[in-house]
Amino acid sequence: MPIQYSSILKEHDAVRHRAGLFDLSHMGQFWLTGEGVPQWADTLTTNAVATMKPWQARYNIFCNDAGGAHDDTIFYRVGERWLLVVNASNAAKMWEHLNAHLPRDGVALRNDHGRAALIAIQGPRSVEILRPHVDVDIAALRYYFCTEGNVDGVPAIIARTGYTGEDGFELFVAGEAAPELWRKLLRDGGNAGLEPCGLGARDVLRLEAGMPLYGHELTEEITPVQAGQSWALKLNKPEFIGKTALAQQLERDDFSRIVGLVMQGRAPAREGYRVTRDGAAVGEVRSGSIAPSVGNKHIATALVERSAATPGTAVEVQIRGAAHGANVVPLPFYKREK
Amino acid sequence: MAQPQGLLFSKEHEWASVDGDRATIGITDYAQNSLGDIVYVELPKVGSTISQFSNVGVIESVKAVSDLYTPLSGEVMEINGALENDPSAVNRDPYGEGWLFKLRLSGADEQSALLSAGEYEKIATE
Repeated sequence: MPIQYSSILKEHDAVRHRAGLFDLSHMGQFWLTGEGVPQWADTLTTNAVATMKPWQARYNIFCNDAGGAHDDTIFYRVGERWLLVVNASNAAKMWEHLNAHLPRDGVALRNDHGRAALIAIQGPRSVEILRPHVDVDIAALRYYFCTEGNVDGVPAIIARTGYTGEDGFELFVAGEAAPELWRKLLRDGGNAGLEPCGLGARDVLRLEAGMPLYGHELTEEITPVQAGQSWALKLNKPEFIGKTALAQQLERDDFSRIVGLVMQGRAPAREGYRVTRDGAAVGEVRSGSIAPSVGNKHIATALVERSAATPGTAVEVQIRGAAHGANVVPLPFYKREK
Repeated sequence: MAQPQGLLFSKEHEWASVDGDRATIGITDYAQNSLGDIVYVELPKVGSTISQFSNVGVIESVKAVSDLYTPLSGEVMEINGALENDPSAVNRDPYGEGWLFKLRLSGADEQSALLSAGEYEKIATE
């Protein structure tokens, strides 16, 4: 997946107002089968797997013993099987992690990373553009659910999921069928404004939508609690890796946390820049970008001390030796009108 | 895009339009195209004196921060203030409304260290 096909801002505009096509085949795809999968997966993840309905999709986080994030993922319950989609950069680490915790029986794993393809169509015109290509009623498919169907005759798992803050679908297909499908969708969707989109646009879109990106808002050191993902934390599950540490962290409530920043001026905040309050260090920027959907302002996420995390707090971002004013704001920065 | 004739170019992808002891400075079409969508430009201060090939500011695209160098020495007489609110002018029209700053030249024999349009074309298309 390239950074951009034409221009990051042009591709961003396509997704917010028309539709964009993303090649996400670099993501890791693992198949989990066997009757033991839900109970076993629940011992490794923060969110619940066993309570997922057939064909449901659910965001979930794997943690280390200290509560830091090992990876953030999505589980898809495909009939009686489970598709686990992991970050590309974590695919090798996650495959090792799953195998290291594999029970003696009841669970089988298959690694399709590098073989299976994933194409996402995202944007308000996704239904209109995709509908003529599929043999299932995608308009009726609920958000965070999936189904099996054919896309231009190619067997696919079609999921109403995405990473842009817009409506859209993710199409899991065999790798060898993907190039032709990609070309067909682009050719037929062109009139409706469908454009190929790269990693650059994807990063701006997800940041505006307040979604964490592994390595930035979630790391082996930054926990789901710190990243504002406690909604995906089910402390009523009997036991899972990281549970004790995360429960203690929530209880103490003294941790530094991810906040949204909106820059007051025109200078972009970028990863690693120091954040200060009245000149005293309170944290650092984890992601930053211009935000066309937030009044074309520069926005950022930052990991800051609790005392500086309240929305409305005025802070400074240190850019090349100069302090640039910013305001702490609630996440997400952007929410689509439904 | 062919490089406009009559301008001088640096290997760092800046152009200079020299008129007597004055020069207008910008970045080339090749440079703006490589950077992608430009979202911020930090220019030298008016009144400051800058020397040839030194780092005098930054140009930021959505993804990257790049240093800006001056192809000639001199005193900064004017900067393109319109870029503060519309940095995309550098993408749209790098040799026109996307100019960066104007100098009163102070260096002698500096222009011989710069390239002609034809010479620069070879670097930019390599």
